[in-house]
Amino acid sequence: MFVEFVEGPLWYFSAAVFVLGVIWRLSGILRLRRRKKDLSIPRASAAVGALKAQFLHFVPHGGFTFRTLYHLVAGYAFHLGLFVLVLWAAPHIKFIEANIVAVPWEPLPRWGFIIAAQFAFAGLMLLWVRRISDPVMIKLSDRDDHVSAWLTFGVMLTGCMALQESVQALRVLHMMFVEIWLLYFPFSRLMHAFTFAFSRGYTGALFGRRGVVP
Amino acid sequence: MLGFVAVVAVIAYAALVGVTGSLNLDIAAQAQENGNVPGHALGNVSDSDVWRQIRRGEVGKVSIPDLKSAVLINAEGSAWRAARNGPISFWGGLVIAASLAFIILFNVIHGRIVLRRGRSGEVIPRFSQAERWVHWFAAGTFILLGLTGLALIFGRYVLKPLFGPDVFAIIANASLQSHNLFGPIFIVALVILLGLYMRDNLWQNGDLSWALKGGFIGDSHPKSWKYNLGEKAWYWALFFGGLALAGTGLLLEFPWLFDRLSVLQLAHVIHAISALGLIAFSVGHIYLGVWGVEASLDGMTKGYVDVNWAKEHHGWWADEVLENRPAVVEGAAEAAAEDAPPAPAE
Repeated sequence: MFVEFVEGPLWYFSAAVFVLGVIWRLSGILRLRRRKKDLSIPRASAAVGALKAQFLHFVPHGGFTFRTLYHLVAGYAFHLGLFVLVLWAAPHIKFIEANIVAVPWEPLPRWGFIIAAQFAFAGLMLLWVRRISDPVMIKLSDRDDHVSAWLTFGVMLTGCMALQESVQALRVLHMMFVEIWLLYFPFSRLMHAFTFAFSRGYTGALFGRRGVVP
Repeated sequence: MLGFVAVVAVIAYAALVGVTGSLNLDIAAQAQENGNVPGHALGNVSDSDVWRQIRRGEVGKVSIPDLKSAVLINAEGSAWRAARNGPISFWGGLVIAASLAFIILFNVIHGRIVLRRGRSGEVIPRFSQAERWVHWFAAGTFILLGLTGLALIFGRYVLKPLFGPDVFAIIANASLQSHNLFGPIFIVALVILLGLYMRDNLWQNGDLSWALKGGFIGDSHPKSWKYNLGEKAWYWALFFGGLALAGTGLLLEFPWLFDRLSVLQLAHVIHAISALGLIAFSVGHIYLGVWGVEASLDGMTKGYVDVNWAKEHHGWWADEVLENRPAVVEGAAEAAAEDAPPAPAE
């Protein structure tokens, strides 16, 4: 009964909340009132600035490299590890094929996604450790940051617990965590998975118009 | 009639001669000698001998790459299983229980070690950001591995009676997968941690006097360097125990690299003993760091400690830091003021 609920109604509900919630949040951002019209003569293209910023902000700028090295490495380890894990783990591909897109693709070998999982775990733990032990980060962090981190950790941990793919209870537990995560996503800073492009674009356009490399 | 009796008697005699193998019907047992069947009726070697050898782990011949399949019965496995479920579980559990009991007893008798002069409001740096990050990273993975490892070793005695065999099987399965996945992450964290903390954990003059004067158990607080002998003992336990744990853990993580199961069994025994010893030790470390000694945790969460704490617990180190201090730590007074208890109302 519980298994059917988690794999049926709860999955559809959480997926719907995720999709509609993300659309609602993004449309809210796009509908924000424009600032006052900038009457200055543009020195360069704002659009090019916005585009440049999308890519330039993937790496730290000049003097900040060393100071940001820790969260740069941890951040990339976590995000890339998670990205690979979600999209190329064999059980995930099977699930996506059965429930979302009926086109399968080649999964990573098992050792590959285990290494990806280890990078993702190490990265997430390092990022959270920084959050609780850096005097500035402690002050900047609020409950949403911690809930987001722990919920993501819960999703990953339950996934790791179900690695043998032989116990139904563990698979259902993992799925339940994913569903809770999907329900929380649109109302939290997890939205940065989508909004990062908007903030980079906005900053890039603003500086690009002034002829400054964003 | 007599003739009939005589015929029956002859047939019976013949049958008994056949059974006993003796004309005078001698039925004394003829035991095997050196494994040979009496009369060599079945050849020189008996089946029992063959099975005895197999039971003892005799290695046969196979023509496939997996040499382990040449062993029908892994006799060493029984010895390993008996050790794992016997003395290792028993003594390991006892050591952890004794460690917990000692901590509780210490807290009841001695109580929390408070700052005798209270907080001064002045702080000095103790741990860098890198030291704190790697400490918490290693601690997090250690706790995860510890909990899953304990579930694997003691689950059959604790979890199985509580939740039943089905739930225990699920917990054990989940624990094993998590343990295998987090193991390599811990190794990376451990190596960085050992490297970062090594310099201040080497032997220094005065370390022994700290212990001889009673360490943290006595009423006086003997002086020590940045780490006292107890803390150094924890570091070196982690160094040797942790490296043993890491090395044997890697062997167990990749079992297909070894043809001899005995290597893996030995690795498992060393792994379990090291882990149980470190878990027992860590109970004391966690107690003293989090609760047992007032204001200790600040060092690992904020990076700085109160000067009074430093002088009371690590006097020589405090003198050294205060002498070499270039200036007051920026923002320290404000940070200390936040931690200070509110002034009593007039």
